[in-house]
Amino acid sequence: MANALFIVWRESVEALLVIGILWAWLKVRGELERGRWFLMGGIAGGVLLAGALAVAMTVVQDELAGTALEYFRAVMVLLASALILQMVLWMVRHGRSMKKQLTAGAEAAFTRAGGLGLGVLVAIAVAREGAETAIFLYGLSFSTGSGLWLGALSGFLLAIATAWLLARGLRFFSYAIFFRATSVLLLLLACALWVAGVEQLIGLEALPSLIDPLWDSSALLDDSHGFGNLLANFAGYRARPSLMLLLAVAAYWLVVWFWTRRRVASPSPENSMTMEAPR
Amino acid sequence: MRGLVRNTLKSSVAIGLLFNAAFVNAESLSSYELVAKEGRLIPETVRVAAGQRFKIVVRNEGHDAVEFESTDLKKEKVLAPGATSFVVIAPLKPGSYRFFDDFHPDTGTGRIVVE
Repeated sequence: MANALFIVWRESVEALLVIGILWAWLKVRGELERGRWFLMGGIAGGVLLAGALAVAMTVVQDELAGTALEYFRAVMVLLASALILQMVLWMVRHGRSMKKQLTAGAEAAFTRAGGLGLGVLVAIAVAREGAETAIFLYGLSFSTGSGLWLGALSGFLLAIATAWLLARGLRFFSYAIFFRATSVLLLLLACALWVAGVEQLIGLEALPSLIDPLWDSSALLDDSHGFGNLLANFAGYRARPSLMLLLAVAAYWLVVWFWTRRRVASPSPENSMTMEAPR
Repeated sequence: MRGLVRNTLKSSVAIGLLFNAAFVNAESLSSYELVAKEGRLIPETVRVAAGQRFKIVVRNEGHDAVEFESTDLKKEKVLAPGATSFVVIAPLKPGSYRFFDDFHPDTGTGRIVVE
């Protein structure tokens, strides 16, 4: 039961965290009215895609289709990573101006481009882990005893609580701290997705691994168990990284650093005056 | 929006190119079998020749789902009870590569020894 609880928690907390943070961002910006439909649409689309993926992962038996499916999943996580990055950078750019200063034009821009990206991101986040959870739950239906189901349900509720507490709890601090902490959380998640995608492409031989492994820190912190495994899932930690993976991670953080530095270094006067604690 | 469409088109082209590269030598691989059962992956040690692409066929004979995973091999595969699937592993250098069952992380561990 403890195992079912932990696995369902781990598989669902990522998507719920993304949803929770985006929800909170929309709310702080006063754009929940329109944004919630993109969120809901994303969740619904994600659940459908998760079901389709779970079936495909179970049914596909030949090499060609198997490889195609792996490419699809790799591209999916890379796209999710790019969308999170884009969303965080967008918030860094616009996050500090409060809603009353948004012009009608800026709001329309959110609806068209941002809203679609938001929906797609949520759909991928839900579908990615949702497919694995679906197969895990399908497996549970063959075991006897309701303890496992109770564990799975508790895991899901706990994941909702975790995401809610993080997104909500952080709002008790100032708007600036809330925004910064959630941005860092999302950037770490996007890094983990980026690592997973690049790794899958290396595994498919679409990218060379260069030197593999570059080092071995599994004696220090194993990435298949406990805390190391959590770190692997939520921040992209690897005990035995290849040079290619390391370059990819370096490139990722370089992009983050470059973009955030550029935005922070040149704040426009209207932006720097509008820091405000949430209600 | 326009940027999104353009990026989607670009990635589609990239995926198409990747496919061509990947399918050139996908046939007749040596294959090794792993059986997942009661939270374990059997055998715990698989010996494989170095420098050869190979296939691991995972058969789930247990009563619950398993996730064959290896960060060393850069693969993960979720299997429902009774399901059989496989992963193709790129040629490896001699050494030991760990794998584990991510749904049974405490009991389902093993390694591939490449020599």
